[in-house]
Amino acid sequence: MLEIKNLRVKLADEDKLILDGVSLQVPKGQVHAIMGPNGSGKSTLAYVLSGRDGYQVSDGSILWNGEDLLAMEPDERAAKGVFLAFQYPMEIPGVATMTFLRTAVNAVRKKRGEAEFTTPEFLRRARAEAARLSIADEMLKRALNVGFSGGEKKRMEILQMAMLEPTLCVLDETDSGLDIDAVRVVSEGVNRLKSKDRAMLIITHYQRLLNYIIPDRVHVMAAGRIQKSGGKELALELEQTGYAEFNNRAA
Amino acid sequence: MTVAITRTKAEQGLTQNFEAVAAKLPGNPAVAEARRAAIGAFAALGLPHRRLEAWKYTDLRSHLKEALPAAVADAPSSLTRAELDAALEELADVAADRMVFVDGVYDRGLSQAGVIAGVRLAPLAASLASPASEAELNGTIPGQEAVLALNTAFMTDGAVIDIAAGSTLASPLLLVFIRTGSGGKRLITTRNLVTIGEKARATVIEAHLNLPGAAAGHSNSLSQLTLGEGAQLAHLKCTIGGDGESHVASLLPVLAAGASYRAFQLTAATGLVRNNVGLTFAGEGGKADVSGCFLGRGSEHIDTTLVIDHAVAGCESRELFKGVLADRARGVFQGKVIVRPDAQHTDGKQMAQVLMLSETAEFDSKPELEINADDVVCGHGSTSAEIDPDLIFYCRSRGIAAAEARSLLIESFIGEAIDKVTDEALNPALMAMARRRLVGLGT
Repeated sequence: MLEIKNLRVKLADEDKLILDGVSLQVPKGQVHAIMGPNGSGKSTLAYVLSGRDGYQVSDGSILWNGEDLLAMEPDERAAKGVFLAFQYPMEIPGVATMTFLRTAVNAVRKKRGEAEFTTPEFLRRARAEAARLSIADEMLKRALNVGFSGGEKKRMEILQMAMLEPTLCVLDETDSGLDIDAVRVVSEGVNRLKSKDRAMLIITHYQRLLNYIIPDRVHVMAAGRIQKSGGKELALELEQTGYAEFNNRAA
Repeated sequence: MTVAITRTKAEQGLTQNFEAVAAKLPGNPAVAEARRAAIGAFAALGLPHRRLEAWKYTDLRSHLKEALPAAVADAPSSLTRAELDAALEELADVAADRMVFVDGVYDRGLSQAGVIAGVRLAPLAASLASPASEAELNGTIPGQEAVLALNTAFMTDGAVIDIAAGSTLASPLLLVFIRTGSGGKRLITTRNLVTIGEKARATVIEAHLNLPGAAAGHSNSLSQLTLGEGAQLAHLKCTIGGDGESHVASLLPVLAAGASYRAFQLTAATGLVRNNVGLTFAGEGGKADVSGCFLGRGSEHIDTTLVIDHAVAGCESRELFKGVLADRARGVFQGKVIVRPDAQHTDGKQMAQVLMLSETAEFDSKPELEINADDVVCGHGSTSAEIDPDLIFYCRSRGIAAAEARSLLIESFIGEAIDKVTDEALNPALMAMARRRLVGLGT
């Protein structure tokens, strides 16, 4: 279970709070969505969960399976099962995708006390998973994300997610910039990973993605707080009314 | 008005040291005369210093505090094959014909160059003694360059390689220059004369290294490379000595029409290293790729200076240098591309990129285009940056520890340059040698 309590966060070099008392619980086996207008703090929450530098937590806590996530380095969090699918996946010139995947998977397995995959075993798994996401073998040989289209980069994030077998998946605007076919492929990839041992947090501006990945709970975030929570129908409601209500509340 | 020229201790010492060894240096009387003329030229020039544009960032005059006794062929070396192979690292496993020079002197026992059809291999010392050497030396003292004059004055040995027209070498030629430190600190001076005949093909690897713990010293090396029409030469230079004080190398390829020269330098030596490439396109349709990777730590100083002279039309030049600088290391890149008035359809591209791993490292980059023709495509660029913290975070968010993420990113950075070497044995060898030198860098 992910338990966020009264989380207050600001940028390290600014005074303004971006997250102003976020509280949220995501039990294992559930998919929660966080929706909200631009600038509401959604992406900040994703980064703080994954341990990016540059943020300062002034109050509150994040527990993952009872452990204090905030005390861990980003790579330790990954070993504990945290995975962030980036809104803007990064390009790493000169590192073949397959090399990157293997380095990451073996690093995580080692930290989890699992045996590293042998090369043939790893290649077999990576290729099989890639095929499910319609990622060609040839792309796995290319430098990670370099020259990939928006859709290819997002599929690559899901491939990494599948290979790293996380238990807390945070997807930050995974549908942004994708056409409808790409949204479908990516969503199917995410849905395959749903399991009773896995908690998922889907961060999205639009309701569209939630047609494909059905959430158990929807939370509306604005002005750095969860303003409203409800079932999946809340997403459809928002599609009708927009975020105006919450923007007003924030002001 | 007469200006009194004050010579430094090192400059005076070099001239004096020449007198001390002149009688022991190899060569016929004509060679001896050329040496004497060269030391005279040096005495007038002095060591290059920062007020000379080409030496702006590498002030050899202030760097060389003393002149070291010049190495000569005196006692036979006791270096063993096992010691040599250990010093060669991965290069020892590359199938190659070898010529080995220990402290500047050819070592027949360690060399293993069989008879190769269409190839003449000879140690320079023997060649200098023969009457033909006058022709070989002719024109080998280009311009008024002090380091070249010193090379002529002090050269003890080197490889003379002559590949007949149309011949293709099956294996690379590995030229090893190893410093053992025997006899103390020395100036080691070598010269290679490489001639690749028309449509001939070869790979020549120069490895400049030292035995672990060998006394430091100075070295001056020169490679003159003459490529005939349509000739192809791959030329690697690995400068990986760990206990050097200074290593000044001059590489002077001249390309006839349609010739192709692919050079790569891996430099990770201690002290001061200067690789000076002066490349001339003498015939149309030539292609050159001069690339490299330099890794500096401590207070190392690594200077790459290129002058690419498009003297004729229709030639293509590419340069890609990647450096990684840690601690107080200093990197210098000077890349000058000259396009002569008649050199239309010149295609030149140059890039120098450095990763700075510390705030005290320094990179001086001076790309220069001197274009005198109007129908050309030329470009250059230079960057220096730290490792992108966002990329490190991305790697860490995938479970890769910080140190491993840094290594991965540094390796990928230099990998782009090392991939210029496409040979299936040499590429991984160079990568492994570079990787060994990245351990602990900037962490």
